[in-house]
Amino acid sequence: MSTDAAKTLAVTPPRKRFRTRLLLDLVLIGIGSATFFLFPENLGFVTRVLIMIIFVLSLDLVIGYAGIATLGHAALFGSGAYAAGLFAVYISADPLIGLAIGIIAGAVIAFLSGLILLRAGGLTLLMLSIAIAQILQEIANKERPLTGGSDGLLGIDMDPIFGIFAFDFFGRTGFWYVFVILVMVFFLLKLVVASPFGLAARGIHESPARMRAIGTPVYWRLVGIYTLAGAIAGIAGALSAQVTELVSLEALGFTLSAEALIMLILGGTGRLYGAIFGTVIFMSVHHWAASIDPFNWLFVIGGLVLVVVYFVPEGLLGLPAKLRQWLRAGR
Amino acid sequence: MKSPFLKTLGTACALSLLLSGTAIADHTVKVGVIAPFSGPFAIWGKQFKDGVEVYVAQNGETAGGHTVEFVYKDSGGPNPSGAKSLAQELIIKDGVDYLGGLVFTPNALAVAPLIDEAQIPTVIFNAATSSIVMTSEYFVRTSFSLWQVSEPMAQWAYDQGIRSVVISVTDYGPGNDAQVAFGSAFEELGGTVLDAIKMPLQTNDFAPFMQRIKDQNPDALFAFLPAGPPTFAFVKSYNENGLPDAGIKFLGTGETDETNLQALGDAALGLTTAYHYSADHDSDLNRAFTAKLEELSPGSVANLASVGAYDGAHVLYAMIGAVGSERTKAVDVARGMEWESPRGPVSIDPDTRHITQNVYIRRVARNENGVLVNEEFETIPNVPDLGLMQ
Repeated sequence: MSTDAAKTLAVTPPRKRFRTRLLLDLVLIGIGSATFFLFPENLGFVTRVLIMIIFVLSLDLVIGYAGIATLGHAALFGSGAYAAGLFAVYISADPLIGLAIGIIAGAVIAFLSGLILLRAGGLTLLMLSIAIAQILQEIANKERPLTGGSDGLLGIDMDPIFGIFAFDFFGRTGFWYVFVILVMVFFLLKLVVASPFGLAARGIHESPARMRAIGTPVYWRLVGIYTLAGAIAGIAGALSAQVTELVSLEALGFTLSAEALIMLILGGTGRLYGAIFGTVIFMSVHHWAASIDPFNWLFVIGGLVLVVVYFVPEGLLGLPAKLRQWLRAGR
Repeated sequence: MKSPFLKTLGTACALSLLLSGTAIADHTVKVGVIAPFSGPFAIWGKQFKDGVEVYVAQNGETAGGHTVEFVYKDSGGPNPSGAKSLAQELIIKDGVDYLGGLVFTPNALAVAPLIDEAQIPTVIFNAATSSIVMTSEYFVRTSFSLWQVSEPMAQWAYDQGIRSVVISVTDYGPGNDAQVAFGSAFEELGGTVLDAIKMPLQTNDFAPFMQRIKDQNPDALFAFLPAGPPTFAFVKSYNENGLPDAGIKFLGTGETDETNLQALGDAALGLTTAYHYSADHDSDLNRAFTAKLEELSPGSVANLASVGAYDGAHVLYAMIGAVGSERTKAVDVARGMEWESPRGPVSIDPDTRHITQNVYIRRVARNENGVLVNEEFETIPNVPDLGLMQ
């Protein structure tokens, strides 16, 4: 994948590349806004997809760019969700301040756990990441008077955004709120991955030893990336808490971490667009397949993932390149 | 049809059929059912659907001239944001007037603000945390609560001369409810709770707990575990560690649930539990219910889920029959409703909208066909949700 990237870098002039990318982004934003008018009756579902995209983007930063193999990403989502939820219940129901609290919570938990996690690597890191999510989940379970335990955190009732836009029954406000945040997160991440900081993360992914040799403080770069990803996962968690008006233990659960990883692999790791497409496809297939045949939809998802992993390991976004390659081979 | 008269008659008949057909179609009232149909909890959704289908088969597809249509949606496991968006979709897109189902407490709680705003009467077939019905005036519940079955168990145990117990529960919401409900009732009566053990949700190795219980030598052990593998392991461990021989009685609630009772085998014989429904309940209505269930979906076992859905359908039919899609008044129809259920006589408490029902003390035994059943031998009549009285 890195050689591919190098090739495109060499072949396409940067300015043209920038323009096509910008055009693509505008098209994506257009499609995103259009869903509001195309699915006015499914806004609740569409909003969940948008929140999940933010979460998977954060996971992509960690796994796809920095190469940190984690299965405990829900720890950061859940921290953001519980922080924003508790803040709304006990202190202030203002959505934007709550969102900021979610960001801080996600970042702080990511920083602290990152200090431990990122000293390890490979399987050790994987196990530790699961352990941290489980510890947090158990704390949320034990602190029943505060968090509601397995019943869920109840009593979140958000104020209108800016005091004007109240969260409505059809989920219209929720949709635009989440959509605007998603667009902001996406462009922020585009800047980050193209910045020296992001490139350093990529470099560490390819070869930590070399990066160390050219003087990059590998450990602290990784902690930095992980903290940033924590802040973004915190955003997703906070949005979920505010839109659902309930936080349950599943926000810290293993299933959430695993599903996000599947979405990312489906779309293609190491590309921001991969996180978007993977999430949209996974959740749409889930939604439609489950409403047609609630009993067997998991087969469809399972089959889809198998096919993608076997034939297009780069994810669905790698499909056009793969097709071109196959065509050339066929000729 | 040679004579013109017959022809006219035929046409008239056909026309009237057609007209009445459209008339009924106009009165279709939709009910959305939110339950898990996939993943590890899929059995719940299936049991709900089976229960509703038995009710429909016995009572027809119409209630008071309205055709009732059930729309099923898969929520997976505990997933409040998913449940909420499904409810939204059912109300906005599918245009349902009523909701039903709901297995998990967080899912039910997430739906509460929605049904309040859209004024959708919602019948909870399971989600058992006491406080749920207080979060919306539109909730009616046809399942049970752990308070409802744990307190009678404490009373019965005390009446049997049991004076000391060790409580051993799984460390999560329902486990805590069961512990507090049983413990406080038992101590109030004058009994002693020697120890309250909270077991981790993930464990299947209970030998250490059994040893601890045995060492304290109580008259009985009161346990609560989620149905499934933990229950097998717990009961097996109870027998293997010689607790029955040490004279420590087993008291429980839903541990001997019909869906996994046969798998427990002889180890289950003699276990005493307090619960609101046994598939073995001795009444014609229950026999008709279980027979129809077996006929419609062979192999489906009657348990708390199927009877919760069956009675839920009964409440829904009563509401729809009385007010159709004028649903704002529907909950008032349900308040104070009384009827005969496969589980025995039941009613809906007018204030709490929770089901008031008999609680039965049962013992696991083999019936004449050699099948393990929960044999009811004592009845505590008309128990309300004691959790809401706290």
